[in-house]
Amino acid sequence: MCMWCERYGEGFERWYLNPANYARRLYKIRKEEIDAAGAESNPQAAGGMLGVGREFLEAQDRGDTETVERLRKAAHDFSWTIHFGQVITLEEVHQVLEFMYPIGLMTCACRRSMRGLPDNENFTCVGMGPGMYKWERWSDTYRGGLSFLKPEEAKEVIDSLSLRGLVHCLYTFGTPYLGGLCNCDYPDCGGLRTVLDMDVRVVWKGHYIAEVDTELCNGCALCPKRCQFKALSFSPSALKAYIDPMKCFGCGLCRNVCKVNAIRMVDRATLPTVANVW
Amino acid sequence: MLPTIQVNDDKCPDPLTCRKCLLTCPTRVLGLGTNVAPKKYRETPPGNFIVRGVRLQVCSACMKCVEICPNGAIQVTLDRGVAA
Repeated sequence: MCMWCERYGEGFERWYLNPANYARRLYKIRKEEIDAAGAESNPQAAGGMLGVGREFLEAQDRGDTETVERLRKAAHDFSWTIHFGQVITLEEVHQVLEFMYPIGLMTCACRRSMRGLPDNENFTCVGMGPGMYKWERWSDTYRGGLSFLKPEEAKEVIDSLSLRGLVHCLYTFGTPYLGGLCNCDYPDCGGLRTVLDMDVRVVWKGHYIAEVDTELCNGCALCPKRCQFKALSFSPSALKAYIDPMKCFGCGLCRNVCKVNAIRMVDRATLPTVANVW
Repeated sequence: MLPTIQVNDDKCPDPLTCRKCLLTCPTRVLGLGTNVAPKKYRETPPGNFIVRGVRLQVCSACMKCVEICPNGAIQVTLDRGVAA
């Protein structure tokens, strides 16, 4: 079972479907934790390099696995306490948008850090909860401004981002306070880069695995380019889509473009070998 | 071998507007950040934005960033500071 559901689910099916994890009470607690860690003053924080720096890369480069593992564990401890994400499906985003309040559409800090993307092209991030009320106080965090959306408007925005091929992740700001709904892609998302390039799990896999029904798959090959996780490839010999369950993050983006409904999302818990692969 | 990327901030006054190096890097090695923490009620001035080599493990030392920088602010060196 997912560690976060165990700790913070409080009887809800998933920890992120528990409204208590979006509450003002937690928002107040998280402020002190983040200040204590100095995360906001770290220029690399927005680039997803929280706790992973040159020391890690050098150790990896010289094949010093002991140091790599030590630093990886430290990065995990830090990230999982302060700021980490989990991939969720489009349906789950819709569920969350129903009870989470307020919803603020804002610019993406990762894309600003990676590409210096101008604000008007960069509205791909959703901030959630009481933290959004202070946006005018923090002009730099909310560069380009913020617009509050109704649940229905937010669903439309998220649907169009999904169509563009962006993966939805929920992020904590002082775990378990959930304050961000990021829409990510490789290589411009700092979080996805950290997890895919360095296996430092600042983004957890979601609760589902995509599975191909090879009877139904017509080999149109629309789905492989939707995968941000290098889990989905097109088999030239079978002329079908192939999904590696160990690499699948369960975002459902491939399923969303499949015209013949050959891909379905299976609950990770029902597959013993990947049930604990996060 | 990990390269070292040095950016002379004095020669890089406004990376947020210029962003040529960020756009040219094929593997997104470079990161744009600020050298000050966010302040209440104001945006960080352009001069406080800095470019750094972040994801060095994917740098192939192709030198595209060095070549494109209009002010010659970026230096990429391989082992022990020897210019590549």
